[in-house]
Amino acid sequence: MHTIAAVALNTFRESVREKILAIALLFGVILMGSSVFLSPLAVGAKQKIVMDVALAAISIIGVLVAIFLGGTLVHKEVDRKAIYLVLTRPVPRHAYIVGKLAGVVAAVALVFAVMTAVMIAVIALGAGGLRPALFASVYLSFLETTVICSIVMLFSTFTTPILTAFFTLCLFVAGSLSGDLKVFASKFGGAGMQIATGLFYYLLPNLKVFNLRHEAVHDLPFKAADVLLATLYAAVYSAVMIYFACLIFKRREFR
Amino acid sequence: MYVLKVDGVKKHFRSDMSLARREVLHGLSLHAQAGEVLGFLGPNGAGKTTTIKVILGLIRADSGSVTLFDHPVGDERSMARLGYLPETPYFYPHLSLGEFLGYCGALSGMGSAQLRERIDAVVEAVDLSAHRDKRLKAFSKGMLQRAGLAQAILHDPDLLILDEPFSGLDPMGRKLVRDVLIDLKKRGKTIFFSSHILPDMESLCDRVCIIREGVIVKCIGLDDLRKLGEGKVEVTARRWRPDMLGGIHGYVESKRETGEEVFLVVREQRFVRPVIEHLYDNGAEVLEVAGEHCSLEDLFMQEISRPGVRTKKEKKEETHVFTGF
Repeated sequence: MHTIAAVALNTFRESVREKILAIALLFGVILMGSSVFLSPLAVGAKQKIVMDVALAAISIIGVLVAIFLGGTLVHKEVDRKAIYLVLTRPVPRHAYIVGKLAGVVAAVALVFAVMTAVMIAVIALGAGGLRPALFASVYLSFLETTVICSIVMLFSTFTTPILTAFFTLCLFVAGSLSGDLKVFASKFGGAGMQIATGLFYYLLPNLKVFNLRHEAVHDLPFKAADVLLATLYAAVYSAVMIYFACLIFKRREFR
Repeated sequence: MYVLKVDGVKKHFRSDMSLARREVLHGLSLHAQAGEVLGFLGPNGAGKTTTIKVILGLIRADSGSVTLFDHPVGDERSMARLGYLPETPYFYPHLSLGEFLGYCGALSGMGSAQLRERIDAVVEAVDLSAHRDKRLKAFSKGMLQRAGLAQAILHDPDLLILDEPFSGLDPMGRKLVRDVLIDLKKRGKTIFFSSHILPDMESLCDRVCIIREGVIVKCIGLDDLRKLGEGKVEVTARRWRPDMLGGIHGYVESKRETGEEVFLVVREQRFVRPVIEHLYDNGAEVLEVAGEHCSLEDLFMQEISRPGVRTKKEKKEETHVFTGF
């Protein structure tokens, strides 16, 4: 536990000192700020536009930060051989991977905290209408990003940052559509198609369970049980990803 | 007690593109006893760094065994007693020296009070006290090397494995690192290090092992090395002609020429006088007569200039190109 915390703290420290984090945050803040100026164009839907843009900005920036940080931090450390200093100490390899994930998730949490604060300010100063569903939606976006972090960590144990980013983005898109694909296959596809989509549905991350934006923006009711189930799903899916990441990393040689 | 024991380790790599199999270590064996300073010498590409990585568990041996403190490689009990300085160290540029050492100490399981005390001691030992709060990205190559040594000794390990510890250091830095190693030696620490700087190795080591083409070709104690040349005398002369060797051939063990000077190693002390007289009689001028000793450089050159330890046929047989596709 001690070593996991040490790796996590170092990863967090490295992440927050990366220029890309500040740039991503700046971009997110500008995006949210711009919604205040653009919202008057949508007559009668000012509040909706501001909330929609703010939640989308938080989700997208969170995912991009996770892919960039998670994909580069492990690779950089392996490539520049700084990892030798870690693995030649009494640090089990799984502790390194779990620590790295914890550090990246902590950096992502910081991004979410800052952007949520900006969102609250933008909504409070502009259209108003802060509601619990908004915060539940941000929380679920954070869980979604945590799942993405674990996928990034899995790919980064055996491939380059560019391929890690590519594979993760593919999974992100596929994971956002997997529910729709299953429904589509059950209505229009044959038995083979249904098996294939069923397989994808259970293998790919079902990111739709983390999407509460519609309810938040339109002030619709949501079930706390769904949030709880999504939390459980994120924990189990991330744990499986990290388990495989640890297996691969344990076998890896550092030439 | 053997602190480090490597027995019959074999290792091959495959080229990423051609899938050609390249044998790097061929049943390599060596050991270091507690408190011993063992030098690891070899030309570039001989397998020094690969051997060190196998010892550290960064790469796995195909066969053979490696134990540290009687535990297999990777065992946390032995890793806690190990300090390592990599060749061309790259550390975390975003950290200050103090933060970096704090991180290394935490990974070694050190408590915060112990860590504070040890960081003070090691930064002073490597003369970086004034740079403790400076980010590592602002460090010169020599300073990084010293920072690397600081992290290696931070947790006061019993075994130090140092890959080229003098690399990138100026003469003052070299002296400083040498002094640190001498101090560790006095404190009974076991040190295993590779270097190309033979005088430093000669002054520090109890024993050296020479690796060539993935095989240890010689392991010798420095005391035994010094005895190798005892009794021999080197005569330096100028205006030398090759035909002069005829009359003294039986007295001279070896000869090397540089320009118009010649260096003759005389087999025994009693042959010195007839050799000198012969040289004078034939018009040569004797410049110096000195006691001869075998240096590490002599031994190293002798070992690496010998015909290959493995024949060309053996090497060819070891390179199998995968032709399965």
